[in-house]
Amino acid sequence: MRPVRKYHFLYLISAIFICSLSAFFIFTNVNASSAKELHSITPDQVLPDLKDTGPIVGNNVCLGCHEQPGLTMTLQNGDILDLYINPDSYAASIHGQDGYACVQCHTNLGNYPHPAFTATDRRAATLQLTDVCIRCHSGEYNLTMDSVHAAAQASGIREAAVCTDCHGSHDVHQWTDTVTHKLLPNARLSIPATCSKCHNAIYQKYLTSVHGAALTEESNTDVPTCIDCHGVHNIGNPTTAAFRLKSPELCAGCHTNPAIMDKYGISTNVLNTYVSDFHGTTVTLFEKQSPDAPTNKPVCYDCHGIHDISRVDDPKTGIEMQQNLLVRCKVCHPDATSNFPSAWMSHYIPSPEHYSLVYYVNLFYKFFIPSVLGFMVVLVGLDVGHSIYTRSRRGKPHLKPPSVEAQPPVAIETPTQPPQIEHNIELIIERSERSEQTEQTGQGDQNEQNEQNEHSAQSKQNGHNSEEASHE
Amino acid sequence: MTSQQKPTPSSPNNRVKLVRTFPRFNVSQRWEHAVLLLCIAILLLTGLPQKYNTTVWSQAIISSPDRLNTIQQIHHITALVLSALVLYHLGKAIYLISRRKLPGDMLPTLQDVKDAWNMFLYLIYIKKQKPPFGKYNFEQKVTYWFLFFSIGIMIISGYVMWFPETITRLLPGGVIPAAIMAHSTEALVTAIFIVLWHFYHVHFERLNLSIFSGWLNEEDMHTYHSLEYNQLVRQPHSDQDPGDMKS
Repeated sequence: MRPVRKYHFLYLISAIFICSLSAFFIFTNVNASSAKELHSITPDQVLPDLKDTGPIVGNNVCLGCHEQPGLTMTLQNGDILDLYINPDSYAASIHGQDGYACVQCHTNLGNYPHPAFTATDRRAATLQLTDVCIRCHSGEYNLTMDSVHAAAQASGIREAAVCTDCHGSHDVHQWTDTVTHKLLPNARLSIPATCSKCHNAIYQKYLTSVHGAALTEESNTDVPTCIDCHGVHNIGNPTTAAFRLKSPELCAGCHTNPAIMDKYGISTNVLNTYVSDFHGTTVTLFEKQSPDAPTNKPVCYDCHGIHDISRVDDPKTGIEMQQNLLVRCKVCHPDATSNFPSAWMSHYIPSPEHYSLVYYVNLFYKFFIPSVLGFMVVLVGLDVGHSIYTRSRRGKPHLKPPSVEAQPPVAIETPTQPPQIEHNIELIIERSERSEQTEQTGQGDQNEQNEQNEHSAQSKQNGHNSEEASHE
Repeated sequence: MTSQQKPTPSSPNNRVKLVRTFPRFNVSQRWEHAVLLLCIAILLLTGLPQKYNTTVWSQAIISSPDRLNTIQQIHHITALVLSALVLYHLGKAIYLISRRKLPGDMLPTLQDVKDAWNMFLYLIYIKKQKPPFGKYNFEQKVTYWFLFFSIGIMIISGYVMWFPETITRLLPGGVIPAAIMAHSTEALVTAIFIVLWHFYHVHFERLNLSIFSGWLNEEDMHTYHSLEYNQLVRQPHSDQDPGDMKS
């Protein structure tokens, strides 16, 4: 019986081993094959072949008419709609390069004669056609639905930007890297100009700012363009309390990044020094707690400017000059005088060179706190230890107080013992249980008596001072 | 005035044992302490959440800008009360000095240093006896003077923070961040000091409620303030009856 059991046991062990091994291999194979499948999915296989114009009308058919310059149409309100398409510029566009067909956007124009044109003016035509972008670019399109532009459109402002206003229509260019989906450096250069088509006043300010000047004059792509602060498709309202509270993080995105800041010798401590100051503390606290709360606490742009941000050491406008900063301070602190701006530590971390007073106060407490704590902990700890020790040896410690009788000489000889004032001496009242009822009134009498005693004692003590005595 | 009746279970004939009590704090001092206690508690409760604003417990308190505003207003009002208390305390001291009636018991002396050293020797089992103390022992003087200067720093730095525009008319701007630093750090030191030092001595070492009741019983006087006790009992004033200690 026993050997059989032994074999059973051995069998069981080996079976489990083999099962687990095979399970392991199967799972690894599955993982490998699924990974392979994922890799092998390319747009060519899954998505329809975009270059295959097979069943739909080819671009050459459209261009048969529309490549003739001067092909126009007059709309109901008198707008002249240009119907000419430059085949070269379309071929150079991202859609042209990828071989998209005209009718993939102009979905209703596959036949000739075309159906009746419903747009009454040029803008209406644009607004009608821009809806087709969602067919391929639904992600971006839906993002724009949350933007201020869409809100403006909804409120009836037809001029508010839609897809083609920024991206163009037949000359759409590639703005992001196809692999990383990051903005191409060249695209950055053209963004402010794109926005300037509507926001020209702000663009003019931006050109004079340290960021805008670097972008337009030096083609420096490290600097922020419009979209770095305002976002791309879901451009929010920058005048809200929420935007204000969030703005320091926006600036910090670049200004705490040493990879960018080190090139220009700019400190990356700007955010933490701001946050550790109480203005910044409040702003960051509110941003976390109630992001929609309005605050009058300054954020980066209240001092540094918004679109006209200048170098802090700019001789004319730089806020490193205290008088320039004072102007900013006075917005909230109208009583501020010339010393006031230096109450703000200018993003410095206190050191012996900068804000030495703050540095030394901090240093003092760095030593003071541990020494006070240490002193107290040692004395209290020793006291606890000693009371446990005395209790364990002699019972309760207060039953055996230090014998006073043994030390009367000390008491008398102590030279620094302050003179006792007479009112420290109290009458001792003997009282029986019966007199308890009258204790309250008796106590009042006693108070008076005591005061009288006190006064008489004092007048005796200060007997030489006749004036005081008479006053008493 | 100060006799407390405590029935002793051992005495069968419903006799009462008379416990001699000694006045320790007058009404004014007791009220000052009560107001001070309240002020410091409120100031710490409203101040520490502002100092530790990144912590979860603080953000539970400062949950909205309105709350923060309320907390700051409470802090400011309490600060005004505390300032008034300090002015009263100082004013009273000046008045008493001018009348030459200020009891000097609380002034630090060389004897306190010696007492502290002897106490230390006692605590490390070198001396067998605690040093005898007068009305205020060195520990109580440390408490008083530590809080005296702490509150001084808190009040000065607090007003500097509160009125930065006015202060910078006279002083360089750097004093504002220095005051902020001092205010929040000193608050922490004060809080630690009160909890660790003061609470230990009045609650754990022995329950000493004389600042609320105004009196100490004979046993505590004898144990903890033997010098004062000796002076009061052994050298009674000629025109006052030393009293009968028996019941």
